[in-house]
Amino acid sequence: MTRASRLVKGGGEVPLERQKKSGKKNARERLDALLDSGSLFETDLFVEHSAKDFGMEGKQLSGDGVVTGFGRINDRSVAVYAQDFTVAGGSLGKAHASKITKIMDAAGEMRMPLIGISDSGGARIQEGVDSLCGYGDIFFRNTRLSGVVPQISVILGPCAGGAVYSPALTDFVFVVDKISNMFITGPQVIKSVIGEEISAEELGGAKTQSSITGNAHFYAKNEVEVFQQIRRLLSFLPSSCGAMPPVIENPASPEHQLDPEDVIPEDRKKAYCVKRIIRRIVDGSDFLEVHELFAKNIVVGFGRLDGESVGIIANQPRFLAGVLDVNAADKASRFIRFCDAFSIPLLTLVDTPGYLPGIDQEHSGVIRHGAKLLYAYSEATVPKFTVVMRKAYGGAYVAMCSRHLGATLVIAWPTAEIAVMGSEGAANIIFRKEIKESDDPEATRKEMVKKYEDKFANPYAAASKGYVDQIIEPGKTREALIAALRLTKNQKEERAKYRHGNIPL
Amino acid sequence: MKKLLIDDTLYETEIPENSLIGRFKGISDPLEVRAIIPGTIVEIKVQKGQRISDGEVLLILEAMKMYNEIEAKIDGKIEEISVSAGDRVEKDQLLIRINSKRKT
Repeated sequence: MTRASRLVKGGGEVPLERQKKSGKKNARERLDALLDSGSLFETDLFVEHSAKDFGMEGKQLSGDGVVTGFGRINDRSVAVYAQDFTVAGGSLGKAHASKITKIMDAAGEMRMPLIGISDSGGARIQEGVDSLCGYGDIFFRNTRLSGVVPQISVILGPCAGGAVYSPALTDFVFVVDKISNMFITGPQVIKSVIGEEISAEELGGAKTQSSITGNAHFYAKNEVEVFQQIRRLLSFLPSSCGAMPPVIENPASPEHQLDPEDVIPEDRKKAYCVKRIIRRIVDGSDFLEVHELFAKNIVVGFGRLDGESVGIIANQPRFLAGVLDVNAADKASRFIRFCDAFSIPLLTLVDTPGYLPGIDQEHSGVIRHGAKLLYAYSEATVPKFTVVMRKAYGGAYVAMCSRHLGATLVIAWPTAEIAVMGSEGAANIIFRKEIKESDDPEATRKEMVKKYEDKFANPYAAASKGYVDQIIEPGKTREALIAALRLTKNQKEERAKYRHGNIPL
Repeated sequence: MKKLLIDDTLYETEIPENSLIGRFKGISDPLEVRAIIPGTIVEIKVQKGQRISDGEVLLILEAMKMYNEIEAKIDGKIEEISVSAGDRVEKDQLLIRINSKRKT
């Protein structure tokens, strides 16, 4: 057996069999599933560690527990690494980390996306501080590559302790049911220190990370689905900040015409699913949702208009009436900043009654978190298109990419209501005295609500000030957005050169 | 389908299961001193009936190999001490009850 053919077998037959039995693909199978067939261009297969302590001297670790290199996805270049759990549990030592940082540097220089697959028991403790140096070197590069090339993390096994911070610094994190585990301190440590008992799955499994914490952006049922998701995501993205996303020639129309009457209930207090609207606007009804299970009261994701990628942010009335809250603000802000960094225009669909009231929100810092949304929209210099569908009340109206935050174009449907608050609340405040002193307060209240509604529950008050550029029938939305996208082809906003802004965090 | 009240308008909508709503349990009652963490009572520094003032150390709770000084958050009088030195206590277990005339 040649040296190379021995090394590609990773930890050897026994651990490979064990990996298979635990329902996981091995590192090489994963890269095969991710990349275009046969396109892996491997580097550093022969790298060896130089650790000497605690029995490490002379110990052979194939590839030092990680496969690195380049490959193609839909015929575009990417840099990849996959930790190999069959070799010393995928533990991260100095040589292992150097292989990773080498391809990270290459991804930056050659301007291609970086995809990292995590499956590691953590630091290789026999190597002491060298393994910590390895993590630090990776975090540093994750940060320096942020906004330069898209970075994707795939958690396909344990990813615990300091190791979690590399995925956390990247743009998109993928997890797989029953395979992924992420936490800073595991269940045993929590039990011994705090006395709380929880399983690894409940603490930091795929469902938890994608729905409760929002650490993961994409949840997949198995290892087949996850690689399809990654390939699909990349189809919407440019290879780097200087490039443009791939454009689809002769794109398909949406599967259904946008006739909001069969989506939006007449009663404005009733809910509907905004994704049905999105699918009636984008090419081929093809919408890739990001953070599907987290902060469901706002929907974000990628679609295309006339073949070109757009990032979509939409209030979701189906959940929590589409309010803004701590998690929704975090989710939308991160997405907006990604799109802005990679020249992807923003499309915002508005139907929100405001911010979620509550002690939990105030004490969780809704001021600080909500401010991120204002910051992200104001900072973004890509074309920003806003469609006000129904409610746009108060501070939430301002925050949802209003004219005031630099929207390129604001469209309103005739059903739009741009006002300081809903008519009930407003009438109860403005006409408090009249209602209180009336012989029939309920009748007076209704009358006053109607009065406020007639005045402000429409898009005309805002349009009369130029805050709305066009009032159009919903069926014309796609057409108008495509026309606007063409107009912004040469849009370029030069911003003052300074070190960087200070986004509230 | 649930309802959510915002600015006097009642919206019909769904509440996601992981929503923060209702998770807030309120600011802890200063009249009830509870264990902030599971651990062992090392020493009780006050007696029943004793007057105490805001910030005064009431007892020492050992947890995570550290001695945590548990302080009063209000002026008042010790009404009841429900633990003794050496006791193991659970998180949120009631340790001392305080009587106070000051409005909380």
